[in-house]
Amino acid sequence: MELVDNLSIGFGVALTPANLGFALIGALVGTLIGVLPGIGPIATIAMLLPLTFRLEPVSGLIMLAGIFYGAQYGGSTTAILVNLPGETSSVVTCIDGHQMARQGKAGSALAIAALGSFFAGTVSTFIIAMFAPPLARVGQSFGAPEYFALMVLGLVAAVVLAHGSVLKAIAMIILGLLFGLVGTDGQTGGQRFTFDITALADGIDFAVLAIGLFGVGEVITNLTRGGEDRSIMTAPIKRLWPSREDFRLAWPAVLRGTGLGSILGVLPGGGATLSSFAAYVLEKKVARDPTRFGRGAVEGVAGPESANNAGAQTSFIPMLTLGIPGNAVMALMIGAMTIHGIQPGPQIMTERPNLFWGMVASMWIGNLMLLVINLPLIGIWVQLLKVPYRFLYLSILLFCAIGVYTVSNSPFAVLVAAFFGVLGYVFVRLDCEPAPMILGFVLGPLMEDNLRRAMRISGGDPMIFVNRPISLGLLIAAAILLLMVALPAIRRKREEAFQES
Amino acid sequence: MTTEAPQPTPTDTRPRALRVVTRKNVLAGLMFIGIAALGLFLSRHYPVGTALRMGTGYVPRLLCWTLLGLGAVILLQGLRGEDEPAGPGVWTQLIPVVVVTLSLVAFALAIEQFGLVVAIVLLIGIGAAVAPGIKAWEAVAAAVVLIALSWAIFVLGLGLPIPVWPVW
Repeated sequence: MELVDNLSIGFGVALTPANLGFALIGALVGTLIGVLPGIGPIATIAMLLPLTFRLEPVSGLIMLAGIFYGAQYGGSTTAILVNLPGETSSVVTCIDGHQMARQGKAGSALAIAALGSFFAGTVSTFIIAMFAPPLARVGQSFGAPEYFALMVLGLVAAVVLAHGSVLKAIAMIILGLLFGLVGTDGQTGGQRFTFDITALADGIDFAVLAIGLFGVGEVITNLTRGGEDRSIMTAPIKRLWPSREDFRLAWPAVLRGTGLGSILGVLPGGGATLSSFAAYVLEKKVARDPTRFGRGAVEGVAGPESANNAGAQTSFIPMLTLGIPGNAVMALMIGAMTIHGIQPGPQIMTERPNLFWGMVASMWIGNLMLLVINLPLIGIWVQLLKVPYRFLYLSILLFCAIGVYTVSNSPFAVLVAAFFGVLGYVFVRLDCEPAPMILGFVLGPLMEDNLRRAMRISGGDPMIFVNRPISLGLLIAAAILLLMVALPAIRRKREEAFQES
Repeated sequence: MTTEAPQPTPTDTRPRALRVVTRKNVLAGLMFIGIAALGLFLSRHYPVGTALRMGTGYVPRLLCWTLLGLGAVILLQGLRGEDEPAGPGVWTQLIPVVVVTLSLVAFALAIEQFGLVVAIVLLIGIGAAVAPGIKAWEAVAAAVVLIALSWAIFVLGLGLPIPVWPVW
C-alpha cells in the first residue's frame, strides 16, 4: 500500500536518533519561547531560524516543525494559566481555560488541551499522508495562469479571514507585495526601491522582515502598554488527570474540533487561528446549555485546542504540495525551506521523498513529544511565567538582533529589522493586521513571475485567466469570497465570529 | 458628516481638528497614501513596458496606484467618523519606540567592528532605559548572563562566524 510505504520511509528518516533529538530540542525550545507571553509563533520561529542553519535540510525542517508545534502549544499553556493568549490561535482558550484554572481545575484544562491536541495531531498527520500525493499530482498539471489564480484566491481568503477592516487588510497585502518587490527584478535585472544600497539588491530577507514586524514590533507594543497586568496562577496544580465527567464532555468536542480544524487548515488563509475561533463558536452552538461557556466549560478548551492543532498541521498541505503558503506561519516555513535550498512545490514529493515523508512523520512524533514534554514538566513552564518582563524584554530584543544578524550575515539587516519593528508597532496602533502583509510579501515575487509568464503564453491577452477552466474556477471562487465580505449580513457574521474574545 | 464623530473622552481636550487627525483610519489612510506616493516617486523612471513584456516598473506602479486608491478610501472613512481615535498615547509613548530602535542601531554598528560582547553591552545598556522597573545591578547581571548565553549558543554551539572581541 502506497500510504504505508510512504509513512515507513518517513518514520525511517524521522526515527533516527539524531532527528529524534532535533525534534525534541525543537519542541522544547519552541515551548520555552511559546510559553512566554508577548511573543507569538511567527516571531518565535523567525528568531530561532538560525539554530537550524547548520543542520541537514531534513533535520533542520524537522526541528523547525518541532519549534512550531512547541510554540503553538506553549501559547495554550499561557492562555490557561495567565489568561494571556501567547498567540492569536489561543485567544479563545483563555475564555474557558482560565476560568477552569480559577476553579482549581488548571491541571484538568492543561491535560485536556494536551490530549486533544495529540489526538488532533495524529488524525491530521494521516490526513496529510492521504491527501498530499493526489493534491501534488493536481499541482503538477498547473501552469502559470492556474498558479496566479490560486495565489489570488489565497490572498483574497487572507483578507476575508483577517480581523477588522477588509479595506485595511487589502492595503496591507498590497504593501506586502510592494515590499516583496524590493531588490533586483529577476526578469529585467532592473533595481527596484533599493535606494542604491547594495545590501538591498537581493531584496529584503524574509526572516528579517518577520523578526522585525513580529519580534521587535511586539516588544515595542508591550513596552508602550507599560507594565502588563499578569495574574499568574500561583496555586500549585494538584491533579493533572481530568475527572471522568470532564472526559465525557470533552471527547465529542475533541472529535468535532479535529474535523473542523482539519478542513479549515487546508483552506487558503485558514490555519490555526481560524480553526480555534470556529471551533469555539461550534461548541457553543451544539451545547445543551450554552450559558456554561465563559464560566469554565471543558468543551470550550477541548474543541478549540484540538481544532487549532489540526488546522496548524493541515495547513502544511497546500504549502508542501503546491508551494503556496496558506498563512503567515507557512510563509515563514517556505522562507526557511528556501534558506535550506529547497523549493516547495509539487515536485518535492517525488524528488525528495525522504525529506517530504520524514517531515510528515516527524509531525506525529513532534505531537507525541509535546504530550511528554508538557504534562510532566508543567511546573517548570509555570515558573517560567514568573520571569519579570524587564528581563524577558531585553532577552527577546537581543535574540532578535542576533537572529537577524546571523540570518543575513549583515549588520545592515539589523537596521532593516529595526525599521520593520517600528512599522509593526505603528500597524498595531492603527489596527492594521500585519499577518496579511507577510503573505503578500512571500507571494509577491511568485505572483509577478507567474503573471508575466501567463502573459507571455497568451501573447499579452488577459483572457487566458478566463479561458482555462481551473484558473477560471479559482478566480470565480475568489470573486465569490470578496462579494460575500461585501454583503452586510455576512460582514456582521464575520465580525461576530471574531468578537468571541 | 453622516455619523456623529465619537464622543471625546473627558480628558481629551485637544482641538477638534487634532482629534480628527489622530483617528486610526485617518492615520492609516495617510500612511498608505504616503507609502504609495513614495513608491510612485521612486519608480518614476522605471521602464513600464507592456502587458506582454512587462518592464521593471509595471507591477510596482500598478500596486502603488491601487494602494493610493485604498488609502484614500480608508482616509475618507476615517474623516466620516466611522472610527475611534488612536488615543493620545500615540505621540507621547514614542520613548520606547526611539530607545528600542537606538539599541538595535547601536548593535548593528558595533557587531562587526567591536564584536559581540560590546554590541550586547550597548544593546542592553540602551535598552534597559525603558525596561519597566529595572535596577542598575539587574541590567549588569542581565548583560553578563546574556553575553554568556549568546556566546554559548551561537559561537560555541552553532559555530557561527560572529566576531566576539573588537577587531583592531
